[in-house]
Amino acid sequence: MTDVGSPLVEFQDLTVSYGLVQALSGVSGAFPAGPTGLLGPNGAGKTTLLKTLLGFLAPDRGRMTAFGLDPTTQPLEVRRRIGYMPETDCHIGEMTAASFVAFAGELSGLPRDEAISRAHEVLYYVGLGEARYRRVDTYSTGMKQRVKLAQALVHDPDLLLLDEPTNGLDPQGREAMLTLIADVAGRRQMSLILCSHLLRDVERVCETVIVMNQGQVAAAGTIADLTGPKRAVYDLRVKGDPAAFLTDLKDKGCEWREGEDGYRVFLADGHGPELIFTTARECGVQVRHLRPGAESLEDVFLRALGEGTQA
Amino acid sequence: MPIYEQAYRRYEARAPLRPLRFWPITREALRLILAKRVFIFLLLGAWIPFVVRVVQIYVVTRFPEANRVLPVDGRLFGEFLNQQIVFTVFLSIFGGAGLIANDLRTGAILAYLSRPLTRRDYVLGKLGVLMGLNLAVTLVPSLLLYLIGLALAPELFVKWELVWIGPAVVFQSFLIALSVSLLALAVSALSRSARVAGLGFVGLFIGLEIVRGVLVNIADRPEAHVLSLQNDLRVVGNLIFGITEHGVPVPPVYPPVVLVLVALGCLAVLRARVRAVEIVT
Repeated sequence: MTDVGSPLVEFQDLTVSYGLVQALSGVSGAFPAGPTGLLGPNGAGKTTLLKTLLGFLAPDRGRMTAFGLDPTTQPLEVRRRIGYMPETDCHIGEMTAASFVAFAGELSGLPRDEAISRAHEVLYYVGLGEARYRRVDTYSTGMKQRVKLAQALVHDPDLLLLDEPTNGLDPQGREAMLTLIADVAGRRQMSLILCSHLLRDVERVCETVIVMNQGQVAAAGTIADLTGPKRAVYDLRVKGDPAAFLTDLKDKGCEWREGEDGYRVFLADGHGPELIFTTARECGVQVRHLRPGAESLEDVFLRALGEGTQA
Repeated sequence: MPIYEQAYRRYEARAPLRPLRFWPITREALRLILAKRVFIFLLLGAWIPFVVRVVQIYVVTRFPEANRVLPVDGRLFGEFLNQQIVFTVFLSIFGGAGLIANDLRTGAILAYLSRPLTRRDYVLGKLGVLMGLNLAVTLVPSLLLYLIGLALAPELFVKWELVWIGPAVVFQSFLIALSVSLLALAVSALSRSARVAGLGFVGLFIGLEIVRGVLVNIADRPEAHVLSLQNDLRVVGNLIFGITEHGVPVPPVYPPVVLVLVALGCLAVLRARVRAVEIVT
């Protein structure tokens, strides 16, 4: 367990490249203890950040520390305290799940007997108790995801890195995996970084979030702060030509984006819904539906990415 | 019962970094390989020449005049080890082709390298598998043969001038095992398919032997002798054990130099290919 409050991982002015391609460009931030989401579209630099944390990639510039250690110069010490569940397949096909997870524990430094004992416990924990003597290459996608989680948990790491843990899972499998991850973070008090492009996964498990886009940190903070009632938000539908109405709202300092059924309007600071009615009257449109909303993580995400919202 | 109701115990002790971190890799891979029955038969087959040589020593002890036809001296060990090269090649094809290729295909390389292990630990672990197998058919039977020779025919082997046999057997066994193992591992690292890697290894080892034969015998190019790694190993063995019957018309320094260059090439391949992150520039 780690001290709550002090960041587990910090990075400052971090620049990482793959040959000529710059994947991270001078990013700074911190992962506190507890569950943190790492959000961003594909190619945003999330996996690169995790791989730098594991010491697989050396930064061109800047610095990263995990548990006060530098992963570039002390990769073994850092990896000893981390459990990594990669996005891609990661198993030894010829082994049974029990042997594979025990082997993973042993590679992390556990004594052989302890590794075997913990492998069985962890496999039960992830719901593979009955199937643990089957070869991993005979498993379904969902079972393979669980084995990946088990091998990351077996040595009881201080920090769990989960890279797209619900990839390829059906809704039921996804729900079970998220329940498991939430349990690891909640009841087991394990710090984790959940790297995903699925907002609902992150919202379900994490308290804090870092949003990345094009190799930069686009937004960071607790989900409550980021989605808090800073501005009034309304979901609305109008009858008539909305173009002039929306342009007028924009001129008055509001933002809007198309929602599932109408528009989502973020009012300018200090304004209430009367601004919508006034503007609608001026533009000759009827407001047919108006419902107060709350800013969601999706809004924060889209705003951070500069997509969808018209300001 | 929901899955999260199952037990999960925190591990209070911090696992220390092991001094021999490669050992679990070697042990588990050997366990998986030796679980295959075919492989056990191959290993047993590789010991047949040993039995033949023991019989040879026994016959010479019973009928000393046979020593003229079947000489029992230092050369016996050189010839025996030269014979064993082919078994190390087969063991490396069946045991080594998938060692890294399978890890690259299934992503298992991440399971290793995201642990407190260096890339060197990983390569050492995999190399240990092939070294273990290859030494089991070179060093172990040679040393056993030497001990049997000392026991059965002390008048032939307990001589001050033959004291070099032990160290020579160790040296040549390690040279064969290391050369073949490194090459098999490097070829395995170049592919994501064990089958392709196996074929590549066959191409390099047996194909080059065929090319050598063709160039030497048909095109009359004696320098082509160095092309065959098997031949290079044999030449070094002949030099060490004083076997002069099969002279090779190339300077004796060439085969060892070729072997060293091949080993360096293999290390370069392993360095480039054994990575947790594939960098495409």
